[in-house]
Amino acid sequence: MAFFLQYAWLIPALPLLGCVLITFTPLRQSKVASGWTTIGLMALATLLAVGLLAASAQGFALRDGQLVTLELAGHGEADAHGEATTHSEKSKEAFAFPEPNVVQRFVWAPTGTTSFAMGIYVDTPVAALLAMVTITSACIHLFSLGYMASNARQSRFFSFISLFTAAMLLMAMADNLLLFFMAWEVMGLCSYLLIGFLYERPQAYRAAIKAFIVTRIGDVLMLLGLVYLYTQAGSLAFGTAPGEIFNPEFLARIGSETSAVGLSHATGIALLIFCGTVGKSAQFPLHVWLPDAMEGPTPVSALIHAATMVSAGVFLLARTFPIFEADNGTALAVVAFIGAFTALFAATIAVAQYDIKRILAYSTLSQLGFMVAVIGIGGWVAGMFHLLAHAFFKALLFLGSGSIIHGMEATPRIADLHHKDEYAAQQTAQDIRNMGGLRTRMPWTFWTYTLGFLALAGVVPFAGFWSKDEILADAFKGGHWVVFTVLAVAAFLTAFYMTRQWRLVFFGAFRGEQPVVYVNPERRSGHHKASHAHHDDEHGHNEHHANTGAHWHEDPLMIAPLVILASFAALGGLFNLPFSIPGGHWLNDLWGQEPASFSLLVAGISLLIAFGGIAAGWTLYGTAFKTAQERDPLDVRAPGVFGLLNEKYRVDEFYQASIVRFTALLALAWAWLDKAILDGIINGIGRVTLFVGRLNFIVDDTVLNDGPDAVADGTVATGKRARRLQTGKAQDYIVYVFGGAVILALVYLYVL
Amino acid sequence: MRSPGCRVTGGFMSLPSYLIPSPDGMPWLTLLLLSPLLGIALVGLAGWLRMDDRLVRIGATAWMGVPLALAMVVWALFEPDAAAAGQGAVQLVEKMPWIRAVRVDYFLGVDGLSMALVLLTVVMAPVAGMASMGVTDRVKAHYALLLLLEAAMLGYFLALDFFFFFIFWEFSLVPAFFLIQNWGRDNRRYAAFKFFIYTMAGSLGMLLLFQVIYLAMRYAGLPTFNLVDLGRIGQGLPVEGVTGTLREIIFAYMDHLGVANVLGRYPLLYTSIAFWAIFIAFAIKLAVWPFHTWLPDAYTEAPIAGSILLSAVMSKMGAYGMLRIMLPLVPDASQYFAPVMGGLALIGIVAGAFGALANTGGDIKRLIAYTSINHMGYVMLAIAAAAAMPGMASLDSRAIALNGAVMQMVAHGLSTGALFYLAGLLYLRSGSWSLSDFGGLRVVAPAFAGVMGTAMFANLGLPGLAGFVGEFFIFRGAWATLPLFTGLAVIGLIVTALALLLMFQRIFLGSLNDRWDRLADLRPGEMGVLLPLLAILLVLGVYPAPIMELGNVAVTELVAIFQQVLHT
Repeated sequence: MAFFLQYAWLIPALPLLGCVLITFTPLRQSKVASGWTTIGLMALATLLAVGLLAASAQGFALRDGQLVTLELAGHGEADAHGEATTHSEKSKEAFAFPEPNVVQRFVWAPTGTTSFAMGIYVDTPVAALLAMVTITSACIHLFSLGYMASNARQSRFFSFISLFTAAMLLMAMADNLLLFFMAWEVMGLCSYLLIGFLYERPQAYRAAIKAFIVTRIGDVLMLLGLVYLYTQAGSLAFGTAPGEIFNPEFLARIGSETSAVGLSHATGIALLIFCGTVGKSAQFPLHVWLPDAMEGPTPVSALIHAATMVSAGVFLLARTFPIFEADNGTALAVVAFIGAFTALFAATIAVAQYDIKRILAYSTLSQLGFMVAVIGIGGWVAGMFHLLAHAFFKALLFLGSGSIIHGMEATPRIADLHHKDEYAAQQTAQDIRNMGGLRTRMPWTFWTYTLGFLALAGVVPFAGFWSKDEILADAFKGGHWVVFTVLAVAAFLTAFYMTRQWRLVFFGAFRGEQPVVYVNPERRSGHHKASHAHHDDEHGHNEHHANTGAHWHEDPLMIAPLVILASFAALGGLFNLPFSIPGGHWLNDLWGQEPASFSLLVAGISLLIAFGGIAAGWTLYGTAFKTAQERDPLDVRAPGVFGLLNEKYRVDEFYQASIVRFTALLALAWAWLDKAILDGIINGIGRVTLFVGRLNFIVDDTVLNDGPDAVADGTVATGKRARRLQTGKAQDYIVYVFGGAVILALVYLYVL
Repeated sequence: MRSPGCRVTGGFMSLPSYLIPSPDGMPWLTLLLLSPLLGIALVGLAGWLRMDDRLVRIGATAWMGVPLALAMVVWALFEPDAAAAGQGAVQLVEKMPWIRAVRVDYFLGVDGLSMALVLLTVVMAPVAGMASMGVTDRVKAHYALLLLLEAAMLGYFLALDFFFFFIFWEFSLVPAFFLIQNWGRDNRRYAAFKFFIYTMAGSLGMLLLFQVIYLAMRYAGLPTFNLVDLGRIGQGLPVEGVTGTLREIIFAYMDHLGVANVLGRYPLLYTSIAFWAIFIAFAIKLAVWPFHTWLPDAYTEAPIAGSILLSAVMSKMGAYGMLRIMLPLVPDASQYFAPVMGGLALIGIVAGAFGALANTGGDIKRLIAYTSINHMGYVMLAIAAAAAMPGMASLDSRAIALNGAVMQMVAHGLSTGALFYLAGLLYLRSGSWSLSDFGGLRVVAPAFAGVMGTAMFANLGLPGLAGFVGEFFIFRGAWATLPLFTGLAVIGLIVTALALLLMFQRIFLGSLNDRWDRLADLRPGEMGVLLPLLAILLVLGVYPAPIMELGNVAVTELVAIFQQVLHT
């Protein structure tokens, strides 16, 4: 056990090593070798992470290199408190930053009379997160081996996703907010690289830049939050000791002192840090990058949406929760509001999308909204639990959709289109209107996808039910009626749009013979040529299918990760069953928090909502879409609303017309200021100086010409010689400048 | 802390405790300063022997390894933690009388303020040498000028007597001017002229000021151009032979001249005049808004080696001057005008960022030049913040700001140097500077794209690379004293990132422009220049202590005075 604690740092180091190996050694020549290298290292990291979780779950910790056992806080109290103490205030007060299991630090940079320490800090929430990230990421690595096989740059792909995973793992283990932020930003880089992985496509690089810049808006505000916190606390280290940022006296101080803008320091810091969450976890109003991030290959979507980036934002919130709690509730109210709003806002958009990945993307936004909202009302455990559970089933759904798209791309109509326009082919393959009846064609995908669907919809006993139930229970029992209602409606919509998707994809007749073909607005003659190399690869791939006569096949390498993830989606709820039985409240105990109690009423409501949504979706879409060209039943009933939702409330268009245009205008304005005004002044001064110089010359020449003529001749001759050296006229001007300076000096010293 | 008092060394002069001579008695700094000059002699010899240009190019670049090696020795001998009598110790000191009549000493030394910049200079000079491998016109003159520029910049960072300091300051303009003028692009004459005159005119005030300071010091009983002593007097630290602060000494002299009766009996007035004389000189060099318009022209029109040295090292001369002269000599006025400096820094940060954004469809060098204005804005912000009114700020906050500034200067030098070098390589391959001519090059030149991408991310402050460390500590330090400006400065972080990403996109992403389907990827030699730069950026980004500890003690001592309200 000491081994897992002592060498916890290997967990991010191994994927990083994988990235380095397949980027800088000849391994990169071989797609298969680089794929298996990273998968092997990921598997090793997974093993270490699970070992670490096991060690920390038993309460082992390292103190000065010695193995000690921690008292698990919630353990003994669970029965004593039981289900009677359910008052929200009580459970809010009960949040305690868990004791660390491993802390290893070294001096990183001198800061005046002090220094800044860096290192790793593992406590039980971190251990749980590490296990989740490594497992999902290992599955995604494995899946990519099959899914990306046709891409010429597959080994580069592996190096990016390994780096991405390493950054996420390092972030989770960071012992201070600066390291946290650094790993956080490296994830931003990886998202840029991966979303823009198919960089020949304008849509891809535009989405990549958009993702980087939009999240960076949140990030720089978070950076301000960090420097604010650092200035107040004198460090950024996690922990409750004096000088660390969760020290109770310090938190009490920043909660009570008021800053210049009228908020308490804690509120200011918390809100700035929350901006980071809003960017990374794609909460309104910075949510616009996440749907566009679908331009990346599907495993990337799974990685971003489940294992890494978006979870990072919620984890940040959970990590810095004591600061949010330290103020009078303003910060948490904002958090709850933004979270709940995003949950509903994104769910409504998801209802009216046709792209299978975009539906999942908006569903991610919505689910992240759930997590953010519940943390905002003090439900720390519920938020973290949903974070972990959601990661498994959302990764499953994305990889499942990848499997579907992979199959769709091999259908004859789309394969044809592929030769003409790769991008349009892919978009067409992702359109759920063109699917249908895949239940029999892709049975493995169907069954695993169904488990993910049930988990997301919140059907008992799958993972999503338990975690979502805990969120609703927290809102219900805390008396946060607005949050509860909004989340309940969002949960209903979740069940509804997932049923719509599931129904249209897997049931009915296959509509892909007459697909709705995506029209690519970027299509140019040059574009086709650029993606030619890729074409040839794909071409060979397609021929292979055509020859065997089987359009529908499921790659075992792609199915294996689906099965692993599906088992977590099905059984994930076991980790935190809300009953006081052996093994119940496991996460609560692990994290040393007050266990939430089970309420039959809330569970009933939440089940009712889930089944209501499923029933509504099933009935409404039972007879819809006989052909792909048909209109959506909702579109028929309420075209205006559906159009608005389909266009995502036109937020992108609004940003385009306001912020983007304003930025471009500002750039022009600054350029004009430089050229016309500042340079104008400089050139003007230059001209005046020259004029004075000439005047001076005339005076010299006419009034004082005799005496200094010889000198002047000498100067002119030198000047001529100098000119032959191509020095221009600079010397002449220097003479004037120096002359002026001497006069000034005389005036300065003797006249004044 | 060493015991105060004097020590006799080398038989020349007795040195106070804050000046430490070379431990082994070798004049390392003189050797360092002379080595590029010897290189010029060798280039001249090669010319006399009519040696092949190719040999000159390689030989001169290889010779730049000599100053590099000497600087490594200096680095090894330098003790970053040494402090004495209220300041970071000046080390490897060489001091002897030069012009006795006006008390000018030959006085060289390194301390925490200059050490990092000396290292930056010697690292970037060979890069510039490599970047000029494509020069075919008057090769020997070109390399001689590069070596001369290196010598002048080294001299500037090493000289501690105003006389030499100013000579090197002005003298560095000469090779830079000729480099732009003779090997630059179409509009080179305008750019070279503007660059030369602007910098020169800007420093006249400082030149005059030092005449006055000399006279004032003579009146006070210790005529001197010694920058270390003047800095100590400015900060109120004891210096043998004189009492009172520089502010009192200048005021007493003005009173003596009768000026004080005319202009008013406000000591701050006279230090303020001094402040502005110094500030304008260095602000022009640092390209602080609104004194920045020479920079895009000069960087754009210069040959690649010129752009590299100008952006990587010369712009830092301004910041160094502020740390060496402005803050210690006139701390009261620096503190008084810190909000103004901070405001100009902020405008520069925003202006540089938007200026870069305005060039995303235009000239690549102009874009990089504007990002330099943005980055130097952060350095200016740090200096302003270190000097600003006390408020809540701790001593550490101020030190952190300046530590960040030093780091930022090093990181910006390396990353911008790499970017300019890459832009030059791109031009050599394509014959175009215009960003709208490219597209999709990542397909044909993946290594080029990877290396340029890394340099770009280092430049825009991606964590894990050195630029972020500088920016983070600058923001951290500046927040304590100038929170409003710091808060608004993040606009620059976003917009610069956008501009650079668009630059990268226009060159490398999208569909390949057919004109370039035979464009060559990076060659091993070019990789050999770039990979060390990127490696340094990565190492310092992951573990910045080697650079940050160089200046930490010196800047901590330097900013101590700003913990109190200085102006009344």
